[in-house]
Amino acid sequence: MTAEAQQMIEHIVGLIRKPGLTIDENTPLVSSGLIDSMALVDLLLKLEELTHMRIPPGKVQPKDLETVARMFATAQRVGKTRK
Amino acid sequence: MSRIPPLAPATMTGSVTRFRNLIEALAAAPGDRPFVTAWIDENERETVTFAEFRSRARSQANVLRDHGVIVGDRVIIIMPQSISAMTTFVGAMMLGAVPAFLAYPNFKVEPSKYRTGLAGVTANLRAKIVVIDQEFPDDMLGHVSLGEKTRLLRASDGRGPGGEEELPELESHAESLAFIQHSAGTTGLQKGVALTHAAVLNQLEHLTHVLKIDGATDCVYSWLPLYHDMGLIACFMLPMVCHTPVVMQSPLDWVMHPETMLQIISECKCTLAWMPNFAFQFVPRRTPPSRWTQYDLSSARALINCSEPVRSSSMQEFHNAFATIGLKSGVLQSSYAMAENVFAVTQSDINRASGPPRIWADGQRFRSAHLVVPVAEGTPGAVSFTSSGRLLPGNEVRIAADSRSLFAPALAPGHIGEILAKSDSLFTGYYNRPDLTAEAIVDGWYYTGDLGFCLEDELYVIGRKKDLLIVGGENLYPQDIEEIVASHPAIHDGRVVAMGVYNPDLGTDDIVVVAEVERKELLANSAEIERELRNLVVAGIGVAVRTIFLMPPKWIVKSTAGKAARSTTREKLLKEHPELNVESWESKFA
Repeated sequence: MTAEAQQMIEHIVGLIRKPGLTIDENTPLVSSGLIDSMALVDLLLKLEELTHMRIPPGKVQPKDLETVARMFATAQRVGKTRK
Repeated sequence: MSRIPPLAPATMTGSVTRFRNLIEALAAAPGDRPFVTAWIDENERETVTFAEFRSRARSQANVLRDHGVIVGDRVIIIMPQSISAMTTFVGAMMLGAVPAFLAYPNFKVEPSKYRTGLAGVTANLRAKIVVIDQEFPDDMLGHVSLGEKTRLLRASDGRGPGGEEELPELESHAESLAFIQHSAGTTGLQKGVALTHAAVLNQLEHLTHVLKIDGATDCVYSWLPLYHDMGLIACFMLPMVCHTPVVMQSPLDWVMHPETMLQIISECKCTLAWMPNFAFQFVPRRTPPSRWTQYDLSSARALINCSEPVRSSSMQEFHNAFATIGLKSGVLQSSYAMAENVFAVTQSDINRASGPPRIWADGQRFRSAHLVVPVAEGTPGAVSFTSSGRLLPGNEVRIAADSRSLFAPALAPGHIGEILAKSDSLFTGYYNRPDLTAEAIVDGWYYTGDLGFCLEDELYVIGRKKDLLIVGGENLYPQDIEEIVASHPAIHDGRVVAMGVYNPDLGTDDIVVVAEVERKELLANSAEIERELRNLVVAGIGVAVRTIFLMPPKWIVKSTAGKAARSTTREKLLKEHPELNVESWESKFA
């Protein structure tokens, strides 16, 4: 696992604020109800920060953020280098 | 029945009601003016003029007619937020049919649950056609029983032939049904609010008047879903009838990129927008401050807080954040609206430079006597409320004590009670549900289920009397969530309470569930059960539960009928878990 993925996992655990919760790169986040739609932006902003990319609107669906692994794949696919 | 004198409305006649129906209003729009811009991102968008929109709608009408749709038929539309969805809706109205938007399925919802909900709505509306888009997931529809008389139609984009063909003049008159809007996001207990052309035109007439809408200079910004009254009425029907451009993005794109609101208003110089309370703090908190200066909100003349109780702290936060990028004072306004009244009952005075009035009241009298006694700002123990505005013309409001008796006295100003509404835009009933209609409308008054009070010509809404949850402006029925949770084998059937608890960080309610386990020993597996319950709720209705409390048997308070009593269980939970009890109105009011 990359250092960025590890940082993302820590960020998510902090967002969910649930004692004893552990997640890994493949834990379903959205379909499991751990992350609600209003927290998706927190994942995207963190993803932008960690990848130094901009994730444009209209190109991302909630399912693209379903797991930490998929988030980074999504950034690779649709991310643009920041101006 | 007495009324509250200070809130007696003025009557007026004006420009919008000169049209006999909504289609006539669209036909009168200048053809070359931009109507809808579907905004995807800074490099991708599509704009149609009023003439192009009419042409595409006629083309959709022809397709629907070819599939047998005639005057009065119900047409359900389940399509992503798009120009095609809007032209299909209007195309149905052009035939005199009665369209209804339903929410597009999100990937979290289990197909079988979606199919059951859809079958229920389709059966209740006795729909002739269900229109879906080309990409609609097959598993969401497979095996759905649409009934013998309902057909499924994959929509085109409306750019096919037939757009130039004139349709016979719409025979529907002002009292014909124009469309049906649904009042809650979940499907289990969907109630279809049936609205006539006259009711919609009356509402738009009043809105145009109080908001001083000018089709030539105004421009609406919207991320609101078209199946919600704010999205359908304020951001689609109002622009259509007032000939005002609207720039629209999908709700999902917005919630994932709230910053785009600033971007679109800046780029397109939008003047008007409606949003639920939570958005007023969601946008500033989820847009990095380093990027604020890229935007300019000086074009906005009214951003209206609507569909959740208005909180001045949320509006203040938005104002403080964006005053430096052109947001003028007095732009943040408020409104009280509901699908059953087409849309707005009240609107704050947009000429008032300081925005909607805010008052402080004695906390003790508020809690003990349900009475609002104004005190000076900053008085220790005072509670504060922000007005939802003044009555629209043609609207009346009555604050009633908790009684359905016809002789229940109207309460005087400052007294808290249920808000009843009566107007020239009130719905005629829930479609095909005379039982629910009779419960909701008594003697011409609609019982809103909201609690509030009137003071100095202003209406203040403080929360829900009914158990409805309002999350991010969307209505959810607690029963839908409770039923799903109770289906888990570890949970005692019928011993579940779902409730909305205010989350000040989000500016909206969180969903909180309390459930009794079958046997105390099961609490040892709490973490596992909780995880399964979360999965079940998301798969069932697509929303995430914030907190689940698993309790031993007999914890939940029962009513005399043996059912779980929501309000007393709620009080018990808030008492045992004071951390939940932040600045919520019920903590003041209980």
